[in-house]
Amino acid sequence: MNRFSAIDASKLPSYAFSHCVPIWWGIIGLIVVEATVFASLVISFFYLQTNFPTWPPDGTQPPELLKPTLATLVLLASAIPMYWADSSIKEGKTFPLKVGPLISIALALAFLIMKVIEYRDIGFRWDTHAYGSVVWAIVGFHSAHVLALILKTSVVTTLAWQNYFNSKRRIGVTVNGLYWYFVVIIWIPLYMTIYWASHLLQS
Amino acid sequence: MTEHERTQVIDSSEETRLLTEVWRSPPGFFGWFTHVNQTSIGKRFIITGFVFFVLGGLLAALMRIQLSAPENNFLPPDLYNQIFTMHGITMMFLFAVPIMEGFAIYIVPLMLGTRDMSFPRLNAFGYYVYLIAGVAMYLALFLGMAPAVGWFAYPPLADARYSPGMGVDFYATVITFMEISALAAAVELIATIFKQRAPGMSLNRMPLFVWAVLVMSFMIVFAMPPLMVGSVMLALDRTVGTHFFIPGAGDPLLWQHLFWFFGHPEVYIILIPALGMISDILTTFTQRPVFGYTALVLSLVAIGFIGFGLWVHHMYTTGMPHLASNFFTAASSMVAIPSGVQIFCWLATLWGTRPRFATPLLYVLGFFFIFVIGGLSGVMVASVPFDTQVHDTYFLVAHFHYVLIGGAVFPLFGGLYYWYPKLTGRLMNETLGKVSFWLTFIGFNLTFFPMHYLGLQGMPRRVYTYLEPLGWGDINLFVSLSAGLLALGFLSSFINIFWSLKRGEPAGDNPWHADSLEWGTSSPPPAYNFRHIPVVIERHPLWEYQEGQDIPVVTGIRSDRRELLVTSLLDAHPQYRAVMPGPSVWPLLLAVAVGIGFGGFMFHNIFPVVGFVLSFIALAGWFWPRELTREVREESS
Ligand code: HEM
Ligand SMILES: [Cu+2]
Repeated sequence: MNRFSAIDASKLPSYAFSHCVPIWWGIIGLIVVEATVFASLVISFFYLQTNFPTWPPDGTQPPELLKPTLATLVLLASAIPMYWADSSIKEGKTFPLKVGPLISIALALAFLIMKVIEYRDIGFRWDTHAYGSVVWAIVGFHSAHVLALILKTSVVTTLAWQNYFNSKRRIGVTVNGLYWYFVVIIWIPLYMTIYWASHLLQS
Repeated sequence: MTEHERTQVIDSSEETRLLTEVWRSPPGFFGWFTHVNQTSIGKRFIITGFVFFVLGGLLAALMRIQLSAPENNFLPPDLYNQIFTMHGITMMFLFAVPIMEGFAIYIVPLMLGTRDMSFPRLNAFGYYVYLIAGVAMYLALFLGMAPAVGWFAYPPLADARYSPGMGVDFYATVITFMEISALAAAVELIATIFKQRAPGMSLNRMPLFVWAVLVMSFMIVFAMPPLMVGSVMLALDRTVGTHFFIPGAGDPLLWQHLFWFFGHPEVYIILIPALGMISDILTTFTQRPVFGYTALVLSLVAIGFIGFGLWVHHMYTTGMPHLASNFFTAASSMVAIPSGVQIFCWLATLWGTRPRFATPLLYVLGFFFIFVIGGLSGVMVASVPFDTQVHDTYFLVAHFHYVLIGGAVFPLFGGLYYWYPKLTGRLMNETLGKVSFWLTFIGFNLTFFPMHYLGLQGMPRRVYTYLEPLGWGDINLFVSLSAGLLALGFLSSFINIFWSLKRGEPAGDNPWHADSLEWGTSSPPPAYNFRHIPVVIERHPLWEYQEGQDIPVVTGIRSDRRELLVTSLLDAHPQYRAVMPGPSVWPLLLAVAVGIGFGGFMFHNIFPVVGFVLSFIALAGWFWPRELTREVREESS
């Protein structure tokens, strides 16, 4: 049996972008997995609630709304410099990639610090009642994600300062950005659950 | 094809040498820990899976010895509980899922005509996580501190109060680990199937096994995370005093929901790849295209969806609202429809052919028989009143072994006999194969069929013994002896595996005259899988090729680095040449770091933090581009 060349791949590029690249699908897969994890936590929150006459249970104040809302805005804002960096590198501009992520990291750190301050004297612990367990689990798990985001992005930024990325080699930036948007966006339903749902269910 | 010139491909030995060099896995003991090629990792999953199958089988044998006579005291009660728990955990988590993934990892890239998986290092990582989890679980058993709460570990029994000691902590940790491993495999199987099919292999030309693996992977992606949440909550309840599943404070039923939302799809995660194997084996042994390809694909997808709507049928006796029970009864019966479609398509495939009755086909036919019985008892227990009667009796034990062993283990052995020549280059012995089939088939039915009767008589499951006057002794003795016959059947297959390794008949590339691409390369495949990536123009490429024409292939993929072809999602149009990572030790280090994080949590709260930091270091090492400057120079020029 003879073989003949039906396709000459040497003419194809050796790089590609977004959904053409397997790693893009890998990150989407990771995001779907994690979204399912968060969904399970939110469902657990509401499932446990059905066992209690009041939610949060007696003796626990519903959370205040102002500070968490501010923190949420800070986290949302952190996606903007990321987006700026992401879209500039497509045109080959590398400068935004060097400073954008740094601003994002600073905002994410600010968010984490606000969470730490908030939960330092929130008035209940994970072992106080089921409400405490599930709230601490959600916030803790999400904060771990924010922390991972910061670490991951600092690696990408270091590479950016070493001029590793350019308009062709930028899939690393794309997927890092995707993951950043995910962690930011998933916070919105979590925030609604912990703060708004607790408030509405109390009254 | 017409716009291309028909240039003959000349095999240059220099290119072949380069390919061999570039795709080679490092030899030696330390080299072993750096392998990333899919054939290497797939084989490890398969071998490790079979080792756990043997271990789980030995535990079952111990249980059957204990149960062979009333008021036997071969095993003390607590040890018996540990053993049946370990049997369930082993079979479900350490054998069935990983071995299906192993076959998928080994076979699917070959079927797709590509050189490796999309994320070879993730693949290796998944294997180490699995290995660590399995070894830790058996370490616990040998230290006498395995969990004794059943494989589904219901609280409050599994709470710190009623299960002191570390058994359930091991359970929660190991479960989480197995989830991570399965999720890693699922995500990369999806990416590989989406993006690395040989040019021309549009979705509707994929072999059915590939479709089945795709559906399995999607199910894993949605089924495993809830259990992961559950097992972490269980660990937290036990270690830091959270209240998730504590009666009165939290809700034990929340665990049941999380567990069975995973647990029912789990059964289909095991079953669906087996269904794919059956379709492909039938195609090969009847030498004709399978009947109703589209119907088979759609019913696989349908089973995948319906599988998520059934979990509450495991909880009928917890006092569900009536409407909910009715809904889940209906849904549970509905799954019989796509399963029926599969069976009828296969029967239609067989109709009027003169199939070749080799061992793989025998195992498939054995599947038909057993799975139909398991399906019938399944439809029975899907109805609430009947289930309430036989819940937690041996009727259930009979039912789920009929579906698990009939539905998954029989096709799996079929697949083993079928693909063994591809993995090793030699055929397994046919005579011994047939003997093993009949021993397994007869042994299986004699072991498990009488359990239906025991269950209807009221013998509860998960008991370490029963009283003499109940009169169950004879049947139990019969069951235990039959289990010996069954064990002999499996044993003869294992002997066959070892015997054929050296003395089997050399197989050649395509001993069964099969149609799919994995048979289009040498057996065992070289490290780079295909010398030339084939181009697919039909659903049965190898049958098409052999009509004496020239074979269309892809040229121009570089041989001096690990490169493969990425194609478009729907039509598999060539898109670009991707460079793949080579051998690396980081996946192992990351697995160890994750192990320290989760495993250490049983002992102290500081370990998750340590694990987090170590994992970050390992991940940075993993992803840090080596030869940074050279690459940058090369590409910016
Ligand atoms: C090899 C022959 C096998 C024998 C003789 C056997 C026998 C048994 C026995 C005696 C039990 C205890 C039943 C009870 O008291 O509830 C059991 C439980 C179980 N078996 Fe098997 N089994 C075999 C293979 C398998 C396989 C291949 C699987 C799965 C793929 C499996 C999955 C299970 C599960 C999930 C349980 C329930 C454990 C629990 O209650 O926690 N078994 N088996
Ligand atoms: Cu089920």
